[in-house]
Parts: sequence; structure tokens; C-alpha cells
Amino acid sequence: MDDSNERKFQKELNGGLVGLVLLAVLAESTEDLYGYEIAKRLASANDGTSIFKEGTIYPVLRALSAGNLLTSRIVPSYSGPPRRYYRITEQGRSVLAEWKQIWAGTRDFVDRFTETEQSDIGHSS
Amino acid sequence: MNRSAPRSIDQYLRQLREELGGADSALIQDALYDAEEYLRAEVAAHPDKSESDVLELIASTYGAPDEVATAYRDTEVKVKAAMATPRKEPHTAAGRFFGVFLDPRAYTSLFFMFLALATGIIYFVLAVTGLSLSVGLSVLIIGVPFFLMFMAVCRVVSLAEGRLIEAMTGARMPRRPVYQGAARGFWARTGEMLKDRRTWTTIAYFLSMLPIGIVYFVLAVAGLSISLTLIALPITVVLSQAGWFGMSASEFFGTAQPEWIFNTGFAIPILGVAGLLLLTSLMHLARGIGRLHAMYAKSMLVARVASGPVETEESAAALVAH
Repeated sequence: MDDSNERKFQKELNGGLVGLVLLAVLAESTEDLYGYEIAKRLASANDGTSIFKEGTIYPVLRALSAGNLLTSRIVPSYSGPPRRYYRITEQGRSVLAEWKQIWAGTRDFVDRFTETEQSDIGHSS
Repeated sequence: MNRSAPRSIDQYLRQLREELGGADSALIQDALYDAEEYLRAEVAAHPDKSESDVLELIASTYGAPDEVATAYRDTEVKVKAAMATPRKEPHTAAGRFFGVFLDPRAYTSLFFMFLALATGIIYFVLAVTGLSLSVGLSVLIIGVPFFLMFMAVCRVVSLAEGRLIEAMTGARMPRRPVYQGAARGFWARTGEMLKDRRTWTTIAYFLSMLPIGIVYFVLAVAGLSISLTLIALPITVVLSQAGWFGMSASEFFGTAQPEWIFNTGFAIPILGVAGLLLLTSLMHLARGIGRLHAMYAKSMLVARVASGPVETEESAAALVAH
């Protein structure tokens, strides 16, 4: 029961964050990346387990690409279907800068409550 | 949903396709393509493990088929809502009738009707040449590779046609081709393609695009030239009366009957209004044709949910055993 509550909360949180993280990963990368590679980078940054299911990044990549935040090209692959390599656009970079600010603001706001919860309760009682 | 965890890529894709049942067929094709790219890359990245060992862990990394299906449905809905420009629907009948001029889809569909003649000729030539050469060469050894090459070209062209139709009519079409599975030799692949219903519907679509393209082109050219001529008529008459150039109403309708309508100039405003109505009807017609054509193209070019990559008998047997 607790486990499913946790997962539900994590899923709701991820809604907008996946796009932000994907843009950030592609902005930092010096080369074009394809879906599987991005998934593995995210996982390795978090000790091998990704916070979101890697299957969920593909539709988001496609949505970002449809919004002109990413461009893509197709390269044949030996292991499976041709891979789509993504690169961030100028528009994507400016959107990323905006989203970063929003995220920083949201994070600070949430931290104000969750980090100092104990001491606040102490003061009010 | 209670079901056995997939043990092979084929099983995973089959479950994902079932989970996406009822979703747009183009969305399903994209989702299957993405999943296959990931799963095959994951299997290739672990050469020491068997396919079923890799698949065992897939639910915790890529996600179980039902989770992935939900992600695709949700993202599609959000993106569609974000990309659609909110448009005020006019309430009056006249507003709805003339509102078509504000709909960009009507213009792009009209453009598509012009373009359909050119693309129709190209598709027709491609299909006729490819088919006849495939049949003719089938007695020689190069017949099979030629047929495979012809089918590969058809797949690419049908994807491009899908992108064109999505751009022109706004109907969701696949953004990824259908992946035919790892190479299994000429004969196996040729047999699969011959059995695949979509192979034949794609070729039928290409052949049908020539007559369809001709009809669209004629409708668009005739409709536009007649309606624009009629609309231009009153303007021309007014300008000639004002002495901009030497023409009178009687010169437009020298011998037209009945005389009382044309020679008194009574018909001129009526014809102008008729031209405007005709042009508006043409825009409606173009938009309607665009929608119908998108449905037609989707039924012919996009794999049905029931088909898709051909399952091997081995994986089907494994699924029954579970």
C-alpha cells in the first residue's frame, strides 16, 4: 500500500520534470544522443536505477521534438531498428533556461516547508 | 492487469500492443518502434545474458508494458492539447459557412489537392515499375533482392506520404517506419512481405493515387478558376465603367441569353455572389476531402493493430505455455 502511494507521488512529480531533465542532458552533451543512450546516462547518474521508467522518456523526446526544442536525425543500427539521434535547438536552450529558473524557484519554495518543518512546529507550539 | 511477465522481445511488443489497444494506430506504431529500439539495444548491451534474462529486468528499467502504454497515451493527450490552437467556433450558420476561410487546414488541403496529381504520378510509376520488374525478374536470382529493395522504397515513400498528409490535414500519421525485425535471410523476409496485408494495401494505395490525384487536381483547378472568375467579374465591370479600360457589360456577354439579364447588367452582382459562394463551397470541399483522404491513407498505409511484426511460432508457443 505504502509502496504504491510512493510510486504514485513519484509519477505525479515526474510529469514535467522528465522534459526538463532531458533538455538538460542534451544541452550538456557535446554529441547527439539517442533514446537508449539518454536512458542509460540518467540511470548511471543515479547509481544504476533511473527515477523514472526509461520507457516514459521516448514519448517526451518526441513531444519536445514536435515543439521544435530538439532536432533529430536517423542513423542505421546493427542491433535493431534505426536510431533517432537528438540534439537541442537554440529555442530548446532558451526554454531550458526558463524552466531551470522555474524549477529552482519551486524547489526553494518547497524546501522552505519541508526542510524546516521540525523547527517551525517547535516555534509555533 | 495480471499476466505473465514478457520473456522475449516479441512477447513484450505483443503485450504493449494489447495494452495500447484502441489507441491511434499511428501512436501504436511509434510506441512499438521505440520499445523495440530500446529492447534490442539492451539485449545487445548484455551479450553475456540471454534475451529472457534481460527481459526479466526490463519492468524495473524500461517499464512494464502497461506503464509504457500509459505514458504514451498521457503524453499524446498533453501534446495534442498544447499544440492545438484554441479556435472560437462561430455560432451562426453563415459564420460556420464562411468561417472555413479562417481554417488553415482548408488551405493546406486545397494545396494537397493540387499536389496529389504530382505525387500520384510518381507513386503510380513507382508501383507499376517496381511490380512489373519484380514479377519479370522473379525467374532470375536478382528478382528477390529487387523485390526487397522495391518494398523498402515503398515503406520509405509511404512514411513520407504519411508525414505529408499529417502536415496538410492534421491527422495523426506514423512518425516511425514499421521495423521488420532482425535480418532472417532473403527467403524468410520475402515470404513475410508477401504474406503481410500492408504490403498489398500500400501498393494499391500508390496505384489508386493517380486517378484520385487527377480528380483532386481537376476539382481544385476548375473550382478555383470558375469561382475566382465570377468574383472578378463585378470588379472588372466597375473598373471598366470607371474608364480604366475599354470594356462594357455587353462585351462580356455579347451573345449571352437571356438578353434581359445579361445586357442590362442585372446578372453581374448575382454572378459575383455566386462566385463567392462557390469559392466557399470549394474550401469546404477541400477540407472534407483532406479528412476523408487522411482516413483512407491511414487504412491503407498504417499497419492494423492486429498485424504488425510477425510473431515467430516459438514465441507464440511460449506464450501459450505460460
